[in-house]
Amino acid sequence: MSGGPSSIEERTSSVSQPEPSVSAPPDQTEQVRALTHEEFDPKGTLALILLYFVILAVMWAFMYFVEFLGNDLVVVG
Amino acid sequence: MHIHDYEKLWLALSLIMIVGFIATVTYGAVGAGIEMIDDSGDTVDPNALGDHPEFGDPGVEQVGPNEYDVHVIARQFVFQPDPIVVPANSTVTFYVTSADVTHGFEIVGTNANAMVIPGEVAELTVEVNEPNEYGIICHEYCGSGHHDMEGLLRVVPEDEYDGGDQ
Repeated sequence: MSGGPSSIEERTSSVSQPEPSVSAPPDQTEQVRALTHEEFDPKGTLALILLYFVILAVMWAFMYFVEFLGNDLVVVG
Repeated sequence: MHIHDYEKLWLALSLIMIVGFIATVTYGAVGAGIEMIDDSGDTVDPNALGDHPEFGDPGVEQVGPNEYDVHVIARQFVFQPDPIVVPANSTVTFYVTSADVTHGFEIVGTNANAMVIPGEVAELTVEVNEPNEYGIICHEYCGSGHHDMEGLLRVVPEDEYDGGDQ
């Protein structure tokens, strides 16, 4: 038998404990996966930053070239 | 120190953006000829504007083929002259000063606006194109009648301009 007495003991002990609350955070202590520096690629963050960049660039161009330079009576002297 | 590729990317983008901001403003000054209103205008005695050769009789004066000088006095709570009438398609230089307290001179809805300080002459040159009517307001709080302080700039077709206050 591969299970052995220790695993039976674990199962019985978990049964005897009170049930965790449904709102309790899930136990993730065993889901550990180490990432190296280059494996961590926050693509969503990158997409968000690129989107902000495009919005800023377009708004700046609109504000300066259309709203400011395109406005009447530009002060030239 | 190791910097992640993404971090290098957005550091580079922010630097490009700063350089871009500076480049557009430089283009505005050098390419498009935008000027800042500075303190290069004359000084006057605000208590003796009546004796001044130009401000003694404020108004529009032709100084070149398509160039006009406009001397404007701001005082509580009017602009003199009112209205200011200039012909279309001309270059207009405003010389604005105050007879009493600090005022503002803003041609509403345009980029032409300046602070008007007693003793100082604010000098601004603009190109006027199409016939139009612009409001002029005081945008520096100048007293109890500040909210009523307004003037009018009329840009009339060249053939309707008869060279003076109308």
